[in-house]
Amino acid sequence: MIPFDATLTAEAADLLNREAYLLDRRQWDDWIALYAEDAVYWAPAFASDDEMTDDPDNDVSLLYMDRNGLEARIFRIESGDSYASDPLPWTAHLVTNILVTDIRGDQIDVSASWLVHSFKRIYGSIQRGGLYDYTLRREAAGLRIARKKIMVFDDRITGPLDIYNI
Amino acid sequence: MEKKTLGAKGAACDPASYIDDRPGDGVFRLRRAVYGDPAVFEAELDRIFGRCWNYICHESQITAPGDYFATRIGRHPIFVIRGDDGAPRGFYDSCAHRGTRLTRRRKGNARTLTCRYHGWCFNAEGRCTLVRGGDEGYTREAMAALDTDLRPIAGLDVYKGFVFGCLDDAAGSLGDFLGDVRPFIDLIADQSPQGMEVLRGDSTYMMKANWKLQTENSTDGYHVASVHRNFATTLGYREQISGADGMAKTEASRILDLHNIGSGGYDLAGGHMINWSDRGNPRAAPLWDSRDELLKHHSEGKVRWLVERGQTVTVFPNLLLNDVASTCIRQWRPLAPDLTEIDTWCLAPIGEGAEQRRARIRKYEDFFFPSSLAVPDDVSAMEGAHDGSLAGGGWSEFALSRHTMIDGPDDAARELGVNVRTSNPGRESETPFYSFYREWLRRMERP
Ligand code: FES
Ligand SMILES: [Fe+2]
Repeated sequence: MIPFDATLTAEAADLLNREAYLLDRRQWDDWIALYAEDAVYWAPAFASDDEMTDDPDNDVSLLYMDRNGLEARIFRIESGDSYASDPLPWTAHLVTNILVTDIRGDQIDVSASWLVHSFKRIYGSIQRGGLYDYTLRREAAGLRIARKKIMVFDDRITGPLDIYNI
Repeated sequence: MEKKTLGAKGAACDPASYIDDRPGDGVFRLRRAVYGDPAVFEAELDRIFGRCWNYICHESQITAPGDYFATRIGRHPIFVIRGDDGAPRGFYDSCAHRGTRLTRRRKGNARTLTCRYHGWCFNAEGRCTLVRGGDEGYTREAMAALDTDLRPIAGLDVYKGFVFGCLDDAAGSLGDFLGDVRPFIDLIADQSPQGMEVLRGDSTYMMKANWKLQTENSTDGYHVASVHRNFATTLGYREQISGADGMAKTEASRILDLHNIGSGGYDLAGGHMINWSDRGNPRAAPLWDSRDELLKHHSEGKVRWLVERGQTVTVFPNLLLNDVASTCIRQWRPLAPDLTEIDTWCLAPIGEGAEQRRARIRKYEDFFFPSSLAVPDDVSAMEGAHDGSLAGGGWSEFALSRHTMIDGPDDAARELGVNVRTSNPGRESETPFYSFYREWLRRMERP
């Protein structure tokens, strides 16, 4: 792990907080604008009680998407035609323990812990949590998300699991 | 007519009162209270789950000696473990000493199962290999009288890689239980001469609805164009913006264009049901490139089914083998009248090409996980159906396309050379459900 860099840490934390804000306020277009054109969005599945999948080409993931996949998720939500997404649960993302773990050229690796509280009448309140591993990249427009790996620690999933509640 | 049977908690349950089946009058109705009634649920655990063959796992998940897989049949924790002799055996997951569960993981490897409570040990053949402190703690006679081995479940058998277990000595053979669904299981099992394997990465999810709604939904072709319209339009949008082509494209004709392709539903008797449809573009099918290889091993009719059709194979009472855009094993377990636990795995031909494998996995993630573009919508539909069933006094009439149902096989079934009880040309029919509910009633009424 690299030594503490106050400016970089603040910059990374701001981006992560911004993402949580835009998801919880359902500002989908601004949310997706945080992602680089070639971004990878990945939530592995459990391979056993002790490990998660690590090879998206040969293992099954919960989600493994490029930016078009993320766009399609927004399309699905906004269509109003998905039984599970209408009404959409209310969500509150808690993103914490934000730590810059590495700098590689213009790429910055950031780790965080997350908890999402969500509410939908049929399920009541649901808590889910896990870890985030981000790779951020400095682009002309500012810091962008080049890769986000979401480890979801809940393996008995109640209700839909989608971009808005992990 | 008095046909009262008792659920485990003693509440009266009259199974026949839930089904109004009068073939002569063209009536098949189900009383909706069948989903939420606790007395029905208790009786089902006994008479359905306690007596029939239940799917446990796929052989590829327990390949080495000591590999085990733990689950439940009804309320009973059980596990399957492969012995040193290579044979899989099934046991109640309960220590011979005072009943503690022995497995601590859903799957793993253990040549010796050590009970964490007082330390008794068992080998993969179920024999007790250590009673800790037993020489001092028991007299020789007391020890000889103790039953120290693990209790095997009544039956364990494998059909084409699919491992089934049962808790009833009188269950009969697995082959007889599967009956005419076997040739359809073959369509999933015979996709590669090297066999099939379950891929790494699985998921368990919960549904706030009765388990029978998942069995119905597995064969329900009628909901596909409504519930999964969003799946099809979302993928259409994604493919348009990404310019997807070839194998990466998902075949959606079966959802949006059903009237231009062949489809059908079969009642296979024994509670088993089929629903199939032609692939509008078989070239996008995972098996397209293996066609010539498959023709070396199977009849032309069977290869036509393997490559050019997709099917959902619903095995009584709680297993779905789904071969549409990708391949899925799904099994569900009743926890309460309104709570069901569902497991899902991706099954793939061993040795398939890297591009095919990648496409299969991505399409699996698109449809079959609780994080997919389809399963959450199915779950919401079933939860809505369960909640609405509590409205009371309601009956559901399974009448859709009853007038087109014919006795015996249709042309497609004849191509495969299979025996079916009734066929219906068109996937949007409710007549396959007769198989499930007639078998349900037959079993529920058996003392
Ligand atoms: S319960 Fe297993 S050793 Fe006592
Ligand atoms: Fe469905």
